[in-house]
Amino acid sequence: MKTPAASTRIASYSLAIDTSAGTTVAVLSMGTVIAEVNYLEPMTHSERIGSAIEKVLADSGIQANQIFTVVAGVGPGPFTGLRVGLAAARYFAIGAQAELVGVCSLDSIALDFYLENPGAGNLLVTTDARRKEVFWATYSGVVEGVPVRSHGPSVNKLEDIAELIDVSSHATTELGVRAGALGQIAFAQELAGVANRKDITPIYLREPDAVPSKGKKVSG
Amino acid sequence: MAIEIRQATVLDLPEIMNLETASFAKDAWPEETFKSELAAKHTYYILALEDNLVVGYAGLSKLPGSDQADIQTIAVREDKRGLGIGKKLMDTLTLQATELGAKEIFLEVRADNSIAQKLYKLFGFKQIGTRKKYYQPDGVDAFIMKTDMRLKTNKEPVVLGIETSCDETGVGIVRGNQVLANIISSSMDKHAIFGGVVPEIAARAHLEALTPVLDEALEKANLTLDDIDAIAVTNGPGLAGALMVGVGAAKALAVATGKPIYAVNHLVGHVGADILDRGELKTPTIALLVSGGHTSLLVVRDLLNDVELLGETIDDAAGEAFDKVARVLGLSYPGGPEIDRVAKDGNPNAIRFPRGLTLPKDMEKHRYDFSFSGLKTAVARHVELAESKGEEFSIADVAASFREAVVDVLIKKAVSACKEFDVPRLLLGGGVVANARLREVAKEQCEANGIELRIPPFSLCTDNGAMIAAIGAQLIMAGRAPSTLNFSAESTLPVTTVQS
Repeated sequence: MKTPAASTRIASYSLAIDTSAGTTVAVLSMGTVIAEVNYLEPMTHSERIGSAIEKVLADSGIQANQIFTVVAGVGPGPFTGLRVGLAAARYFAIGAQAELVGVCSLDSIALDFYLENPGAGNLLVTTDARRKEVFWATYSGVVEGVPVRSHGPSVNKLEDIAELIDVSSHATTELGVRAGALGQIAFAQELAGVANRKDITPIYLREPDAVPSKGKKVSG
Repeated sequence: MAIEIRQATVLDLPEIMNLETASFAKDAWPEETFKSELAAKHTYYILALEDNLVVGYAGLSKLPGSDQADIQTIAVREDKRGLGIGKKLMDTLTLQATELGAKEIFLEVRADNSIAQKLYKLFGFKQIGTRKKYYQPDGVDAFIMKTDMRLKTNKEPVVLGIETSCDETGVGIVRGNQVLANIISSSMDKHAIFGGVVPEIAARAHLEALTPVLDEALEKANLTLDDIDAIAVTNGPGLAGALMVGVGAAKALAVATGKPIYAVNHLVGHVGADILDRGELKTPTIALLVSGGHTSLLVVRDLLNDVELLGETIDDAAGEAFDKVARVLGLSYPGGPEIDRVAKDGNPNAIRFPRGLTLPKDMEKHRYDFSFSGLKTAVARHVELAESKGEEFSIADVAASFREAVVDVLIKKAVSACKEFDVPRLLLGGGVVANARLREVAKEQCEANGIELRIPPFSLCTDNGAMIAAIGAQLIMAGRAPSTLNFSAESTLPVTTVQS
């Protein structure tokens, strides 16, 4: 791990990675996005991830070993894709001797929404969870650059959310997950001293589909 | 298809000219030119032969005192292209160039011949210039390409291999043919209550295990990432979601460290494991790979250029059959060791369970394929019938007879492949190799048939990162260019694709 001087405790360069929906990667300098790529396709994470990271580094003119923090979107999102980004974040951090920070992927959508709609009230963020369900969370606003989550993240049928919150009092948005926004949140959390250091445990919200074996009876 | 490479002489001229005129319709060399090329002291021409017939040739020129060599020509008969013959010829030529003291190799290639260019790029050739309208009468440009041999031959590369194709997270480190570390974390216990590998559970476990396994491998090898020359990773075949964890991690590590990356075939990795055990792989060899995910029979004539799938299971893998039958018998998971334990006291000939795909009509279509699903059902029926009649039955006898049926088919087909392809070697790989009876019968049958049997130690037979690193090291030592960063995880990657 790089040991920064006390006066530069705030990391200068960070790399943000999220594969909870498409593949999105960004390089930030002091919390400002200087390069970003967003591939929307939901199935090509393992193909894209290497060259996406290579591209944002090249576009920003930053060497891998200058990256101080790797910010990982920890979901929720479809598992297979989500894991590609988390695996990449872990090994990039080891290779670049950077530290790891996890941020809830839905928070990036909330940040972008409040930046576009300053002063807006409650927000309901949903993303596709397949099987006719959505991953969702609600927010009340942004404090010091960090979206304030009031519910979630959870996974439900869209129509069931109304039983849990007053949907009519919440705005919704079409915005998607963006690595740059994750990096901005991580930087704001760092300034506020509430960064989610090292914990990049994925938010799965569902157990694996598997039924314990009852044994016996294999033949028809 | 056994391909032999030997040096060409002037006596081979007529056959070479046949191929030359067929391959280069408009710009074939005249016979006299080729004759003087073959006779010259500073040239080295080789032939690829199949059944003593010329199916390809290639030539090199290296003047004494110069540290540069030129590849003069290369041709493969049209119906034999795409089978690795070109790679074999290039392997031999680049090796010869190095032995003659060449530090750089040059060549010219038609700008419109992208297949040849792809082959050269595989050997590290890069375009350094263009000769306008070099090829006449077509007026096609020539690309001048060059490769630097100094980059590839001076030392044994240190390669880090990452394997996540099934339920084992493996990171291994090798230097050339030597294992420096081979750390494996298995999620087997987490699958036990389900009686088989659950892909989602395996993939979750890979993500958790990635960092500790890498840390431990580096510590065991007493190296840091700075000491690593290249990264190799399994990109198939295997469970898609599991493969993607390793692929994502490996690509990010490659970008973060600036190291080249090699995407490697898992099954070829199992074959390569033998290199780590005894420092070399003797070829040709038949390889029988048996695990919870695979049951494959291969003929390996050349590890990097010529691996052919003879057959594989058409339903369950052998290891899966052990797991399922263990459940039927009320034994725990994984089934292999449990059945081995119980079968020790049983009579293997007590019940004659079916041998899948061994009847004459099956042998026509599925000579080297396997099927264990019918066998598993037969065992279940046997047990159910006994229970419904309230009869006592010996679990030991059922386990021993089942195991005998599996082992019998596996070894019979492997040995008959050795005989049919006239290959006096059999290599075993995969986790089921731990099975005591399989090893015993393999030993007996190989001894009886004059076949050399190779069984690497279990840590190299089960899925592991060292075998993947070993293939990476072989590719580097053969001068192969790294994979590009865009390769994908391919659950059904064919065994003919050694590197993606």
